Amino acid sequence: MRKRLRIVHWTTVLIAVVFVFTLGLYGIPARGQMAGVTLYISGDTNIQEMFDKDLLPLFERETSVKTKMVFLEHGQGGEAIVAKIIAAKRTGQKTDVDLYETQPTYIAAGASEGIWTKITKDNVANAAKVDYNRPEVLVSNGFGIPYRGSSVVLAYNSKYVKTPPRTYDDILAWIKQNPGKFTYCDPQTCGSGSAFVYVALYKFSKAEDFSGVSYDAAKVTAWEPAFQLLRSLKPYIYNNGFYPNGNVAVLQLLGRENIYMAPVWSDQGVSYLDQGLLPKDIKLAQVSPPFTGGDSAIAIPVHAEHQASGLMFLNWLLTSKAQTIVVNKLAGYPGIDWKYMPKDVRDKFAGIAQNFSPLPNGQYQADAKRLWQEKVAGSGQ
Amino acid sequence: MRSTTREGVTGLALVLPPFFLLIFFILVPAAEAVLGTLRVERSGHIVYSLARYVEMFHTISLRRSVGFTIMVTLASVGVTFVLAYALALYLRFSRGWVSTLLGALFIIPLFIPTVIASFAMVTFLEHHGYIATLLHYVGVEDTPSLVFNATGIVLTEVWASIPFATLVLLAGLQGIDDALIDSARDVGAGALRTFLAVVLPLNAVATIITMSLLFIGILGSFTIPYLVGGNAPQMMSVVMTNYFTNYLRPDISVALAALSFVIAALAGATYVAGVSRRERGAV
Repeated sequence: MRKRLRIVHWTTVLIAVVFVFTLGLYGIPARGQMAGVTLYISGDTNIQEMFDKDLLPLFERETSVKTKMVFLEHGQGGEAIVAKIIAAKRTGQKTDVDLYETQPTYIAAGASEGIWTKITKDNVANAAKVDYNRPEVLVSNGFGIPYRGSSVVLAYNSKYVKTPPRTYDDILAWIKQNPGKFTYCDPQTCGSGSAFVYVALYKFSKAEDFSGVSYDAAKVTAWEPAFQLLRSLKPYIYNNGFYPNGNVAVLQLLGRENIYMAPVWSDQGVSYLDQGLLPKDIKLAQVSPPFTGGDSAIAIPVHAEHQASGLMFLNWLLTSKAQTIVVNKLAGYPGIDWKYMPKDVRDKFAGIAQNFSPLPNGQYQADAKRLWQEKVAGSGQ
Repeated sequence: MRSTTREGVTGLALVLPPFFLLIFFILVPAAEAVLGTLRVERSGHIVYSLARYVEMFHTISLRRSVGFTIMVTLASVGVTFVLAYALALYLRFSRGWVSTLLGALFIIPLFIPTVIASFAMVTFLEHHGYIATLLHYVGVEDTPSLVFNATGIVLTEVWASIPFATLVLLAGLQGIDDALIDSARDVGAGALRTFLAVVLPLNAVATIITMSLLFIGILGSFTIPYLVGGNAPQMMSVVMTNYFTNYLRPDISVALAALSFVIAALAGATYVAGVSRRERGAV
């Protein structure tokens, strides 16, 4: 009897605890909405962790403005957020999106609706440090401000490559002199392989023709010599023309010294080197013309509920202190010019601390991948 | 009279839902898709033409992919068939614990998801994988490429198809009367002769069913060719997915699907012929 009473007693306690916690869980966001700034951020889990653990606590400490982050993992629902901002504008309401970090192409999609605030050094002082010719700004129609970036760079094994290529043409010559020691991943499966293909395309056409929003299927014919060039490389590629699936597969081939040179993502290369997954002999360098890169930008709606706080956060994010956190955490590029970064950071990223070429827009990317499959991989020897 | 009418109505009511499902969710969309592949826009007008199919066959990579798909499928069906037939014969005619153990073991691949099996095969067959290591110990240094090519796809398809093929063939073999085999033996036929003259013909229907279903299954399989196959040539299922999602050319993708439907229909026709032959009581 006593035993049963005790069970009843403990059950009551348990229910009470659960009840209090549930209340707490529902209570916290309500408080967050009342004050401060709501940030919509997209990206992989490393981005989420960086905001949660490093950037947001520091910002709150320094400015005592409360923040609330809505995280879109892998950018899922990215278009829907733009639609939501547009809907609020059309119905004359404020939107709870005070700051939106997403792909530049999504920002461009909302530009014609007039939903974005023009960012200049007048409303965001640190915007003066940003190069407005960066692909992120151009692709987003001038409304997106970069705060992080990564690009594809050339990785080479300095034990075997004594004079590393300085230009894209140098790489092509090296491949032919060293058969079987180079590869790039299948562009379907990774960005580093696509970058190698896009730079070949830009060799015979102008990058600006393909990076904007407009699309004209006829322009694609300009790529024909580029695909012929890539096909002519096939006999010199690792394992008689083997293009691995995914960025990681290429890094593994480099790590096992099966190949001595390959294009890789700057952030992945640096983090693999930091973790010892690549031998210390592997060096990263950008070539000329540079490989493609850039995939994220920040925009602020004109009708944001806390627009001033949004602008304030963006300005803070572009300080060299916040940018150093971003660069170190992501092993990527800063949004501001390298010259505003501390010297030790510049030294660490010396090989890759340059600009990069813009990506073609989504439709041209699809065409490039299809034509690569048809004319390079699938064409026979 | 009345009760037969009622029975007829009930029967019809039972048949109608799957019938409508078949019509509206399979036949109509399929016909619409095939017609769509023939519709081409020319200077603002919609005309019917074979332009897409012409484009398809003028693209070398697509032509090679169709040939590759048929070759890989035939090779997989052939190897599976030989191995599964041998296994089924052994399980049918041999008694003892080895046979019982094998009878339980061969079914295992049926319960392993293809994704896991494919990844297992990749680690098993790859350049520095298990097979290469074993061969290295024996002194063979130059391991042929076993994965990310046709060999890899065939090996994995065979591994995944053996249980199904063996089950169907075994069921057929178990339907053969022992007395027939004994009498063949009595008149002096050896093992091979008995197999060729008695077992093989009596098991013809199970054979046709196995081969045609294997063919259709492997032709349309996606997971294995996607994970174990190489960059090029690719199986049609992988190519279709790429054209649909990566290259933003769903029209080519549907045209390829229509073509693979035609190829599968040929196999389907042999299946139907085989089954109806059994129903007519030929066997």
